[in-house]
Amino acid sequence: MSFNAPRILPAMTVLTLTAGLALVFFFAPNDADQGFIQKIFYLHVPIAICALVGFIVAAVQAIMHLRTGESSWDVRSYVSIHISVILGVAVLITGSIWARASWGKWFVWDEPTLVSFLIVFLLYCTYYPLRYAIEDRERQARYASVFAVTAGAFVPLNFIAVRLAETLVHPRVFATAEGGLTPKMTVTFLVCLAGMALLWLTLARFELAAKSTRARLGRLRRALEGDEVAVGASRIAPVPRQAEEAG
Amino acid sequence: MSAFRAVLAKDLRTELRTLESVPAMALFAATTFVLFRFGLDRTTLEGALAAGVLLATVLFAAILAINRVFVAEREQGGFDVIRLSPVDGASLYAAKVCVLAIYLGALELIAVPVFAVLFSVEAGGLPALAAMLLLANIGLAAVGALVSSIAVNSRARDLIAPLLLLPLLVPVMIAAAGAAEPLLAAGGPSYADFGQWMGILALYDLVFIAVGYAVYDFLLED
Amino acid sequence: MPALPLDEAGKYVAGAYVAFLALLLLYVAIMAARIQRIDRELAELAEIAEKRSDRPAAGPDGADAGAEENARGEAEGQVFEAGAEQPSGGIR
Repeated sequence: MSFNAPRILPAMTVLTLTAGLALVFFFAPNDADQGFIQKIFYLHVPIAICALVGFIVAAVQAIMHLRTGESSWDVRSYVSIHISVILGVAVLITGSIWARASWGKWFVWDEPTLVSFLIVFLLYCTYYPLRYAIEDRERQARYASVFAVTAGAFVPLNFIAVRLAETLVHPRVFATAEGGLTPKMTVTFLVCLAGMALLWLTLARFELAAKSTRARLGRLRRALEGDEVAVGASRIAPVPRQAEEAG
Repeated sequence: MSAFRAVLAKDLRTELRTLESVPAMALFAATTFVLFRFGLDRTTLEGALAAGVLLATVLFAAILAINRVFVAEREQGGFDVIRLSPVDGASLYAAKVCVLAIYLGALELIAVPVFAVLFSVEAGGLPALAAMLLLANIGLAAVGALVSSIAVNSRARDLIAPLLLLPLLVPVMIAAAGAAEPLLAAGGPSYADFGQWMGILALYDLVFIAVGYAVYDFLLED
Repeated sequence: MPALPLDEAGKYVAGAYVAFLALLLLYVAIMAARIQRIDRELAELAEIAEKRSDRPAAGPDGADAGAEENARGEAEGQVFEAGAEQPSGGIR
């Protein structure tokens, strides 16, 4: 993967997201309960879904890394988590704004998906200090994969637990997220979801391309100069092992 | 099977002889209760508050044990022995899970009565509470042994372990507190949703024991 | 037709979308900075390569130095070049 790879993915992303945006403001009707504020739903929920699926994808890639030992899987897993954490920030910000608009508070414990997401986000934030704390590259990659698998198993459990905790005490707040979607709303939502998924893929590809280019530069530099590490090489960005050169 | 027994016996024997983990955890719990008494400015607790204080204290005391559970292996080369022998990592993992669960059980044997006395807690629900704590201990132990293995080979190990542990333990807290709150209610225990919360704890235990078994060998590789 | 957001609600909705856009643009800016850094490094290396081609005697020395390289980054390029042949679906 390089920066010169076919442009169709970014193009599709732009098209779908723009179409989604247009649908949100020109096609989808206003929600009966929440009014115009409900439009945030088309932004917040797709990003949340993509981030969570991204974490599961990272877990699968981590399993592949553990099974095959090829660090290219570790790179993919790292990038998946990285992109999902970035989207996670967006989820928390948009969710907070939605909570403020609906309830006057910047965070509501009544909304189980928001709370679950906060917990998952906090967990995946620990991925970075974990990688920093292990110096041996190979071990770092392996332990990071173990973490990604464990955290991936944790995500569904966490959602079940939080949902049970909240629904026993409070009624669901953002009920439009579940049912009560008219067909027009559903179409809009699906288009936005597709757009966000494509965005996730595009960002992931950019990250992978950046890493690969940096890696190639490092190799070039070593071939020319023979010693120095490339400027700004990260201690935690995964690096493939020498043994895979043959494989 | 014998490796499991060997590690388990060794750890329990060491603990009985040196008494370095469980008494420290118990002392920590008791002191934390005193802190809560002053922090919350209350001399009696019931319901949600009681559940929260007890479980938070148990959780933090568990971190003390989890931080230490692999220290001996790391310092005395125990990991290398396992690596070189035909024993699979799962036996080591299972043994450590049992060790932690036993430590936690011993802790709770001391801490729960102390808690009930210090805060004049309604005692009717305590047997059910003990059963719930048993399930919670298994979950704490399963995740704790896994995280401890990850942390013990890293640099800031006393920092990494709690950092990784606490988000992972949120569902345990949710389920345990959900079960404990009606058990410690002022008007006497209620068992309304008890089964459901026990179900969640059991599910959590199963999932993380399975995950631990599946990945543990990868943690042992050099 | 869209309801014109002249009330409070509009500000929050706009705020949410703007925040998302800001985050995305921040990412783009960071990516742009990285590409700039890559560019600079590439220019540097191109210079070194030019100098090398003017001094052919330096070839074998370069190879020896290369043999002593830090094992950490040796094969980075290879694996990623292999990866480049995969379709972009490899991210999955």
